[in-house]
Amino acid sequence: MSMAATYRLGTRLFWRDKTMLFGSVVTPVGLAVGMPALMRHVQPDGVVSATAMFQSAIALLLAITAFMNVAVALSSRRDQLVLKRLRATSLTDAQILLGQVASTATQTVAMIVVSMLAVRWLAGVPLPADPLLFAGAVVAGSFVLSLLGAAYTAAISRAELAAAYTTPVFLVAGVAAGAMGPIPLPDWLRPVLDLLPTSAVVNAVRTGDALGLTLNMAAWTAVGLVALRLWFRWEPRRS
Amino acid sequence: MTAIRVRELRKSYGDFPAVRDVSFEVAEGEIFALLGRNGAGKTTTVEILAGFQRADGGTVEVLGLDPYADRAAVRQRTGVMLQEAGFFPDLTVAQTVDVWRDFTAAPRPRDEALGLAGLEAKAGTRVRQLSGGEKRALDLALAVLGRPDVLFLDEPTSGMDPEARRRTWEVVLGLARQGTTVLLTTHYLEEAQHLASAMAVMDAGEIVAAGGMAETLSAQAGRVSFTLPPGVDPASLPLPVTFDGDGDGRRAVCRAADPDLAAQTLLTWAAGRGLRLAGLEVRTATLEDLFLDLAAASAKGGAR
Repeated sequence: MSMAATYRLGTRLFWRDKTMLFGSVVTPVGLAVGMPALMRHVQPDGVVSATAMFQSAIALLLAITAFMNVAVALSSRRDQLVLKRLRATSLTDAQILLGQVASTATQTVAMIVVSMLAVRWLAGVPLPADPLLFAGAVVAGSFVLSLLGAAYTAAISRAELAAAYTTPVFLVAGVAAGAMGPIPLPDWLRPVLDLLPTSAVVNAVRTGDALGLTLNMAAWTAVGLVALRLWFRWEPRRS
Repeated sequence: MTAIRVRELRKSYGDFPAVRDVSFEVAEGEIFALLGRNGAGKTTTVEILAGFQRADGGTVEVLGLDPYADRAAVRQRTGVMLQEAGFFPDLTVAQTVDVWRDFTAAPRPRDEALGLAGLEAKAGTRVRQLSGGEKRALDLALAVLGRPDVLFLDEPTSGMDPEARRRTWEVVLGLARQGTTVLLTTHYLEEAQHLASAMAVMDAGEIVAAGGMAETLSAQAGRVSFTLPPGVDPASLPLPVTFDGDGDGRRAVCRAADPDLAAQTLLTWAAGRGLRLAGLEVRTATLEDLFLDLAAASAKGGAR
């Protein structure tokens, strides 16, 4: 009877939804494993390219498995009046939302770890040199992107549009982290894209910059919590 | 003690006043019915009492607390059956109850909750395959999981077949006997009559009849009508009648709490005199009848 209960519920529903699993597990893990494996075999400096590609692909996993998945799940539960029913129990709003966010974050961490092991095996990508920092970056990134995905539902007018609304976020996160290949970007845009939470996670994994990561994650956590507080809708629009 | 207190409650959606100066009180252990047609403001009132919406004006108290500001505290002791709320369609009935038990302090055992709602046979059925009435029953099971002191039921039997409706009534009466305070909304007059120890009639956001007035009206809203045989003096009938229409289509109408019994009385009387009551119609009370009566009473200046 608490956040643990909503955490368990979120996890159970995640693994039950077979159609959603294709989008939130098969696609991102396929990309995060397939692209480095491809790089390993087509590039002259195979392992180096594969490693860089895997690190970039973490941004895709965060954008899809964390952000998109939680945005789709919460906006459809909102529109089906399931969130309203949950609010009829003695759960608090924070328990309902943070339990779901923590659950989505856990699935995301698991997907990233699975991908990490798979690219080690399939593409020879070395395991992280600093496992603690890697773990910290992945856990913090998964939580922050899940939190932001929950907050983003306020912008999603109808649940059917949730995937369409989150696609731009996925594309920008991918481009910013270099997961979409070398795309020439104007000079002024680069520092802006580096501020994205996905970029901060990829950068920390690449360079070991723990301080930059911590500041970035703290700032985006604050943004997410404030946005939830101000704009989160528990019921569909009446119109 | 008073479990629910509503005073001059007001709530608007944009320019539309959904609830206008509604006041009532519900004593502990009482079943109180808010009766009204769709759009009368019943659901808004219940949602404010259950802490989902904030009132624009007036005060509401549930167990002495403000349900909006102290939602967490009020929720520990209340159960809510919303008029409209979704389930997880792929969970079975039993799984749904288990998930909700996880959200509830000291919940009823699963089988007890399913038994209460008459859903034992549906335990393994996915929620998406339930009928509307069965979903309503599951709703009730979830609302009473935590043995609440106050229960809000918004249209609890809509979509139910007569048997399920009877069962739900028994459950609600049983809970009230154990001391649960129940506030229910309905547009079935029969439901309010059967369950409620007190009622108020809402229309267009206002209470248009309450207390004895509402009970008297609802008690008389059943009717028996027939064509008065020629040459019979209405005053000689065993029950008082009024007349609808005129000329050849003139029909005698007898109001009664129990229209079946009234019809029997009239037929026995007619048989004893060798008369035939042509075109006899027996109708149980409907909310529309009650509103017609209310309008008539209001025209005489007697309402409110």
